[in-house]
Amino acid sequence: MNKVNDRSRDIGPFVPGPDDDMLICRCEEITKGEIRKAVHDGMWTMTEIRRYLRTGMGLCQGQTCGKLVKGIVARELGVSPAELEPATSRVPMRPIEMYIFANEAKEADVHE
Amino acid sequence: MPPNECEGAIQKGGILMDTRIAVHPILGETTKGREISFTFDGKEMTGYEGEPIAAALKAAGVMIHRYTKKEHKPRGIFCAIGRCTDCVMVVDGVPNVRTCITPLKEGMDVRTQYGVSAEPFDKQ
Amino acid sequence: MKRYDLIIVGAGPSGLSAAIEAAKRGMKTIIFDENEKPGGQLFKQIHKFFGSKEHKAKIRGFVIGEQLLKEADEAGVEVKLNATVIGLYQDKEVVVKIGEEICHYKGDSIIIATGAAENMVTFPGWTLPGVIGAGAAQTMMNLHGVKPGQKILMLGSGNVGLVVSFQLLQCGCDVVALVDAAPRIGGYGVHAAKVARTGVPFYLSHTIVKAEGEDKVTGVTIAEVDSSFKFIPGTEKHFDVDTICLAVGLSPMSQLLKMAGCEMEDNPKRGGQVPICDENGRTSIPGIFVAGDVSGIEEASSAMIEGRMAGITAAKYLGYMDKEELDKGMEELDHALNGLRQGMFAPKNRGKKITETEEGIPVSENLLTKGYVADDEIERFPGVTHAKGIHPVIECTQNIPCNPCQDACPKKCISIGENITSLPTVPHAEDCINCGMCVASCSGQAIFLVDEDCGDGTATVTLPYEFLPLPEPGTKGVGLGRSGQPVCQAEVVSVKSLKAFDKTNLLTMRVPKEYAMKARFFKAE
Repeated sequence: MNKVNDRSRDIGPFVPGPDDDMLICRCEEITKGEIRKAVHDGMWTMTEIRRYLRTGMGLCQGQTCGKLVKGIVARELGVSPAELEPATSRVPMRPIEMYIFANEAKEADVHE
Repeated sequence: MPPNECEGAIQKGGILMDTRIAVHPILGETTKGREISFTFDGKEMTGYEGEPIAAALKAAGVMIHRYTKKEHKPRGIFCAIGRCTDCVMVVDGVPNVRTCITPLKEGMDVRTQYGVSAEPFDKQ
Repeated sequence: MKRYDLIIVGAGPSGLSAAIEAAKRGMKTIIFDENEKPGGQLFKQIHKFFGSKEHKAKIRGFVIGEQLLKEADEAGVEVKLNATVIGLYQDKEVVVKIGEEICHYKGDSIIIATGAAENMVTFPGWTLPGVIGAGAAQTMMNLHGVKPGQKILMLGSGNVGLVVSFQLLQCGCDVVALVDAAPRIGGYGVHAAKVARTGVPFYLSHTIVKAEGEDKVTGVTIAEVDSSFKFIPGTEKHFDVDTICLAVGLSPMSQLLKMAGCEMEDNPKRGGQVPICDENGRTSIPGIFVAGDVSGIEEASSAMIEGRMAGITAAKYLGYMDKEELDKGMEELDHALNGLRQGMFAPKNRGKKITETEEGIPVSENLLTKGYVADDEIERFPGVTHAKGIHPVIECTQNIPCNPCQDACPKKCISIGENITSLPTVPHAEDCINCGMCVASCSGQAIFLVDEDCGDGTATVTLPYEFLPLPEPGTKGVGLGRSGQPVCQAEVVSVKSLKAFDKTNLLTMRVPKEYAMKARFFKAE
């Protein structure tokens, strides 16, 4: 499903909410208000939000906040969360130290 | 070995004796590895070899594992299966160790993590 | 790069089941699991499963786990633990982190059985130490033998919230309240009833306003919500707690499939992002299959069957099985799976408001909003019988595919019939010999043995009791009603613990005879 959001749509101005200071991304400590503001800054897809704010790029790699961020962005855009394409899934699927990531096992070492 | 022998850690912490489940109505007697000692922020504690560091800390009544980098807020165990990374601490000098899935070893040095370091914020 | 006929990601119930089927057909199979121990969530389940004999009903989750592991071992399945799969490519290459190295493996076929992860709900204070997931509570109690806390509030009334609440009570914690924003309980009525009768209050249409505490949870405030989930002013309630448990649903962990390029869909009925797949578990990429919660949230019983389906489908895909064998195998497994997907909680009925049982009996509204069947509702149900002498009283009020009680009675007093979602009846109540097998065999702990009139103004009630310490005969206390409120004086007559009961002790208490159909739990003074 690759529904491109129609960016010519007017989603209205950013209206501060009473729970804007609620922490959403626990690892990077990003609040609901920051996410909502980012949408109004022009970030309309999950991948853009992730790169703009670093939600989902912390130590847990989005495993905790993913669905929450999606719901907030969707509501701000006035669409259902099901219509938003999730952020790209790429290697590594779990947080991993760089020195391990670069440590390719030699053929002979491959665990039998 | 029944966990009642772990009284040392629990009394030193001044915490309720019954944080460990000695006998469970369905699972029976809890079996653990041998009792070992480790340090938490320099204080000597006891736990069982092979159990997650977080379990030994929980049994001793420790709730706070770290303080966050930006807002200096306390965090502890949340998912307990190595997913959320809120329970990470500095273990044997290495930061960001997930204490809920890392087995406890004799003599381990476990420290509260401030941001990504064991040094309190005002010393960083 | 090492090559395998079949690479399975995830050694939970579905992954293990798939591996067993594949290995039995001679496929060179390996399972990678990121955890230290196999079995997924199965080893944390200490309650008896529902279903019929073929679904391993009456057997505790962790015992099923042990059986699966043994079967896998005997079939020669290779399980690599502490092996995190970090990438899956379209050409079926799997990248795995093992120890401190990255290894590459090639699979001729792949089964993804990675299960699901817990959902989150936010409220002020949700990041405080003391707020934990329900899975975390289970892990700590059932795997590590440590209490997650002392005074706990549970948020979520689905099966996870209900089952974990009971497990918390079993290890000695105090569950101060069970809260859900929904107007009705989402999980099985019997799971709710066994929690409610111990005295845990249910607050439906409520949710958490905030968790209080400076550097850890010291209390929580909840309030009622209206139909738009907005707080109703003036309905705040406060509890002193040290732990808040979140059980607000599961989402499939399907990112590997997305990475490999499988067609995905966002399906709320299945829990979120799921791969588009057929009933065999085939995804849009030939040779990549799925099984278990990752393809749609259900339960362990269905996960195991789906695992077997994916296993034989992979076997056919690589030519280890011909089409006829596959069709025959699928027919049997389909039959078993459909058997599970019946009744009030069937996936097809999700979201529907059910007002009557299959038999046309109005459901207990009180059960759905408060967690217990009211005294003036209980007599509606066919299992609630009256007879002279000791006889079963079955307080099973919802259509769930489940029938261990029928087979448990040596005198055939209990009947469910061909349709295993039917409510149990007791056509031969007078033949009861008080062996207690029905009480112990009911996974929902919904069967009692009652002698309504002992002749001396008292009655006796035998109930399932899975707590420690076991009271001694002669202990005086109170009888609690279905609501968990004390209703009368009670005295323990006996506590029976037989091997055949499998850790479900039978506690018999004497109560004034007016309370024979009211007292359902015992609390020592």
